[in-house]
Amino acid sequence: MSLSARWVIGTWLALLLACIVVISRTEIRTDLSAFLPSSPTPAQQILVDQLRDGVVSRLILIGIEGGETPALALASKRLARQLRQQQSFASVDNGEGAAFTRDREFLWRNRYLLSPAISAEHFSSAALRAALEDDLQLLGSPAAMLLQRVLPNDPTGELLRLLEQFEGLAKPDSREGVWFSKDGKRALLVAQSRAAGYDLDAQEQALKSIRDAFSNAPAAGNIAAQKLLLSGPAVFSVNSRASIKTDAWRFSLIATVLVATLLLALYRSWRVLVLGLLPVASGALAGIAAVSLGFGSVHGITLGFGVTLIGEGVDYAIYLFTQIAPGTTPEKTLDRIWPTLRLGVLTSICGFSAMLLSSFPGLAQLGLFSIAGLIVAVAVTRYVLPILLPSGFTVHATAVLAPAVATVVQRAPRLRLPLILVVVLAAAFLIVQRGALWSGDLASLSPIAISDQRLDAQLRRDIGAPDVRHLIVVTAENQDLALEAAEKAAAALQRLSQRGLLEGFESPALYLPSLAVQHARQAALPEPWALRANLQHAQQGLPFRAGLFEPFVHDVTAAKQQPLLNRDSLQGTSLALKLDSLLVKRSNGWAAMLPLRGVADAAALGQEIEQPARKQAVLLDLKRESDQLYRTYRREITHFSLLGAGVIALLLLISLRSARRVFDVMAPLAAAVIVTAGVLVLTGTALSIFHLIGLLLVVAVGSNYALFFDRQTASAQDRERTIVSLVFANVTTVIGFGLLAFSKVPVLNAIGSTVGIGAILSLVFSAILITRAHDTAVSRR
Amino acid sequence: MHRVAGALIIAAFGAALAAAAAAQAAPAATWGIDELMQNLARVKIAKAKFVERKYLSMLNAPLEFSGTLIYTAPGRLEKHTLLPKPESLVLDHDTLTLENKARNQRRTLRLQDYPVIWAFVESIRSTLAGDMQTLTRFYRTSLEGGEDQWRLSLTPAEPKMQSMVSEIRIGGSRNRIRTIEIIETEGNRSVMTITEDES
Repeated sequence: MSLSARWVIGTWLALLLACIVVISRTEIRTDLSAFLPSSPTPAQQILVDQLRDGVVSRLILIGIEGGETPALALASKRLARQLRQQQSFASVDNGEGAAFTRDREFLWRNRYLLSPAISAEHFSSAALRAALEDDLQLLGSPAAMLLQRVLPNDPTGELLRLLEQFEGLAKPDSREGVWFSKDGKRALLVAQSRAAGYDLDAQEQALKSIRDAFSNAPAAGNIAAQKLLLSGPAVFSVNSRASIKTDAWRFSLIATVLVATLLLALYRSWRVLVLGLLPVASGALAGIAAVSLGFGSVHGITLGFGVTLIGEGVDYAIYLFTQIAPGTTPEKTLDRIWPTLRLGVLTSICGFSAMLLSSFPGLAQLGLFSIAGLIVAVAVTRYVLPILLPSGFTVHATAVLAPAVATVVQRAPRLRLPLILVVVLAAAFLIVQRGALWSGDLASLSPIAISDQRLDAQLRRDIGAPDVRHLIVVTAENQDLALEAAEKAAAALQRLSQRGLLEGFESPALYLPSLAVQHARQAALPEPWALRANLQHAQQGLPFRAGLFEPFVHDVTAAKQQPLLNRDSLQGTSLALKLDSLLVKRSNGWAAMLPLRGVADAAALGQEIEQPARKQAVLLDLKRESDQLYRTYRREITHFSLLGAGVIALLLLISLRSARRVFDVMAPLAAAVIVTAGVLVLTGTALSIFHLIGLLLVVAVGSNYALFFDRQTASAQDRERTIVSLVFANVTTVIGFGLLAFSKVPVLNAIGSTVGIGAILSLVFSAILITRAHDTAVSRR
Repeated sequence: MHRVAGALIIAAFGAALAAAAAAQAAPAATWGIDELMQNLARVKIAKAKFVERKYLSMLNAPLEFSGTLIYTAPGRLEKHTLLPKPESLVLDHDTLTLENKARNQRRTLRLQDYPVIWAFVESIRSTLAGDMQTLTRFYRTSLEGGEDQWRLSLTPAEPKMQSMVSEIRIGGSRNRIRTIEIIETEGNRSVMTITEDES
C-alpha cells in the first residue's frame, strides 16, 4: 500500500471514528416536534405543547371486551384497583362512584364560591321567594327524592346549578357501576400517566404495567375470552415506534439478504460484497453525525428516511465494480465514469439541498443528512474502494449479459410513441384528479396503522370524549390572571351563545374561579341576621316549617369565612384533571383553554372574540390549524422539489453545455415521476408527503441512469458495460424498496411503492428516450 | 292469487282472535303476578287524569298537584302537571326531561346518572309496561287481591334506594292502575289517584 493510500485509509477511518463519537453522544428524539414548524404561530405552539406533554397526550383509553357484562365489569374494577396503586398513573377512571362522590363533595362544600349565580341580589327576599316557589314545584317531581335531602341547606339550588353546568359534557354509559360502550360489549377505563406524552420509554412502561395488571388479575368468569384494548396518543407513539422498528428491520434484513445474494453471484467475492456496502455505511454515519452537529439532536424519522434517501449510495459501488473491464484497473474505470458519477451526485445534492431551507426541522434534517451522506459515500467510492479492491477484479457477468441487454436497449426507442402517449394520459389523469390527489389532513403523516386509528375512534366514541375542534385560548402572566381572562372570554361567549353563534362552552374558571371572582362572591354573601330576615319575609304564605332553613343560614355564614380555593383544593377530584387540561403552564406564562361546542359560525365568532380590546384571546380551530400545518408542509416540499428541479436543470446546463442534452436527461425523469404518480393515484392511493419524498429519491437515483445513458462512451463495449451496471443497480434498488411496499406501516409503504415503481420506470424510460451513437453498435473511432 | 292471499290473511287474523279470546277466558284461579304483567303489557297507549297529594315532614300542609298522564308502550311516560303551576315531565327510555314552559326552563337528566330517580321512575313505568324483568331488578314484589282489585307492593332491593323509600304500593283493577302510594323512610308520603280520561 502506497503512502498516499495509507493517508486515504487513515483519514477515512479517523472520520468514521469521529462520526461514531459524535453519534454516541447524540440524542435521538421520537416526538412529533420534527413535524412541526420551527417558528410556530401561537396557535401552532399550543397544538405542539398539547401534543408533547398536554393532558391529552397522557391519556390511555382502555377497553375490555369478550364475555358477559358482569364479568367485564368485575375485570374493570379489578384492573382499576390494581392500577390505582401504581405510581405511574396520575389517575385511573372507570366510572366507579369513588371519583364522582369526591367531585360532588367538593362542589357541595364550595358551592357558594363556585356558583355563577351568586350576587347580593341572589339573597334578597324577592329572589329567595322565587327560589322557594320553585322548590315547591320541584317537590312534586321525581327529583323531590334528592331535593328533600339538600333543601334545608340549599334552597337556592346551587348544587343543582353546578351539576347542570357540567351536565352538558358527554359521559359514557354505565353498567354494573362502571363505564361501558353503548352496546354493553366493552368495559371502558381512562388512565392518565404521570409521565409526559413524549417520554416514550416511560409510556411504554406504563402500557406494560396495564397489560401485566390485566393478565395477573384473579380470574373473573371466563377470563380467557377477555381481551384488553389500548389506545391513545401514548399507545400510538409506542406502537408506531415498535412497528417501524420491526418492519424496517425485517424488510431491510430480507432486502439485504436478497441483494447480497445477487451481488455475491455477480462479484463471486465476499470481500468485494462487503466493500460494496462501505460507501453507504460510511455515508449513513456521516449523515447522522452531520445532523447531530447541525441540529443538536436527531429525529428518529430522519434516521429512517435518511438512510433511505442515500440508498443511491449502494449504486455507486455497483457502477464501479461492474464496469471494470477485464485487464484494466479500478482507477482507470473511475477515470472514465467519474465525471458522470460526480454529476450524478451533484444532481442529487441539488435536489436535496432545497430541503435545507425548510422551516420544518424534520425536512431540513433530512436534507442535511442526505447531502452529507452522499458526499461521503461518493468520496469513499472514489478514493477508498480502489485501494481495497483485489487486483485484477472484474465482473464476468457483465460481459455475459452485455449483448442481450444491448439488444433490448437498441430496440427500446421503438416504444417512444407509446411512451409519450402513456405520459400524456398520466399527466391528463393527474390534472383531472388534481383536487383529490392529496390526502388532505395531518393524519396522513401519522405512522399509525389504519386499524389502530379505527380502534381509537371507536373507544373515543364510547367514552364520549368530544372531538375538540374549536377552542378559545387566552394567555396571561400567571395562573390567576389567566383565569380572570377566561372569565372575561366566558362572559363574551355567553352573549354570543344567546345570539346562536355557538351552543356552549367549557372554561377552567368553572372548576376554579379567579381569586377576584371568588372574593366578589364571598363579599356578596349576606350576614346571618340579614339572611334570616329575608328568608322570613320570603317564606310568608308558603307551607315550609319554621326554622327549616337554619342549615342554609349556617352554610352561607361558613362560606363567607372559608379560605378561597386554589388548584390544590381540587386534588383528588376528577375536576382537577379537567382543570389541568384546560389551564396549562407555558414557557412564558399561563394559557387557559375554553373548548366550544356546536360552533355555528366560526368566522363571526372569531371576529367577536378577537377584538383588539381582548387581544389576548384567540379562536383556535384545531382541525383547520393542523390541516393548515400539513398544507404548509406539503406546499413547502413541493416548492422545494420544483426549486431543486430548477437547480438541477441549471447544473446540467452548465456541465453538459447543451440544452438538447439537458432535455434528454430530464425528459425520462419527468416522465417517470408523472407516470409513477399516475399509477399510485390510479390504484386509489391518496398522495402524502412520503410519496413526495419517494419521488425525490426517484429523481436522485434516476438522474444517474439518465446521465450514464447520456454519457459519450469510448466504445460500444464500454456503453454495454455501463448499461448492464445500470440494470444491476436498478435491480438492487427495486428489491430494497419494492419490499417496503409490503409493509403495513403507511410511511414505509408509501416510500416503498413510489421508489419501487419509479426506479424501474426511470431506467426503462431512459433506455427508450436517450439514444446515442453507440446504440447502433458503431464505434466512433 | 289474490284470493289465496286474502284467505291466508283471514286465517291468520282468525287465529289471532282465537288466541286473544283464549287469553281472556283464562280461569281466574291461575291469576298471579305474571298474568297481571301480561295484561298490563297489552296496553299500548293510555291517557288519564291524576291528583297527587304529598305529605312532607318539612311542610306544614300537604302539596297538591293535578294534571294528565300519558303512557305510550313500552318506554314513554308523560306527566303534565296543570295545577298549581304548569310543568311537564317526560320519561323516554333513559332520559327524563323536565320542562317549565312558563319560565322557558328545560332540564334533561340521564337516568343512569341518578340511580335513585331511575329506580323510582321504573316502579311506575315498568309496572305500566308489564316489564317484570326491570321491575325485579329494582324491587322485591308482592301481590295481593284478585284480577279486579289488586295491590302490588314494591320494596326497594338496593340499599341506596332502601334508605329513601320504604315501600311503593300500586293499586289497580285489571289492566288499569288506580292509585300509586309512595312511603318514604323519613315519614314523607305521597298518594296519587288516577282516573280514566274519557276524552
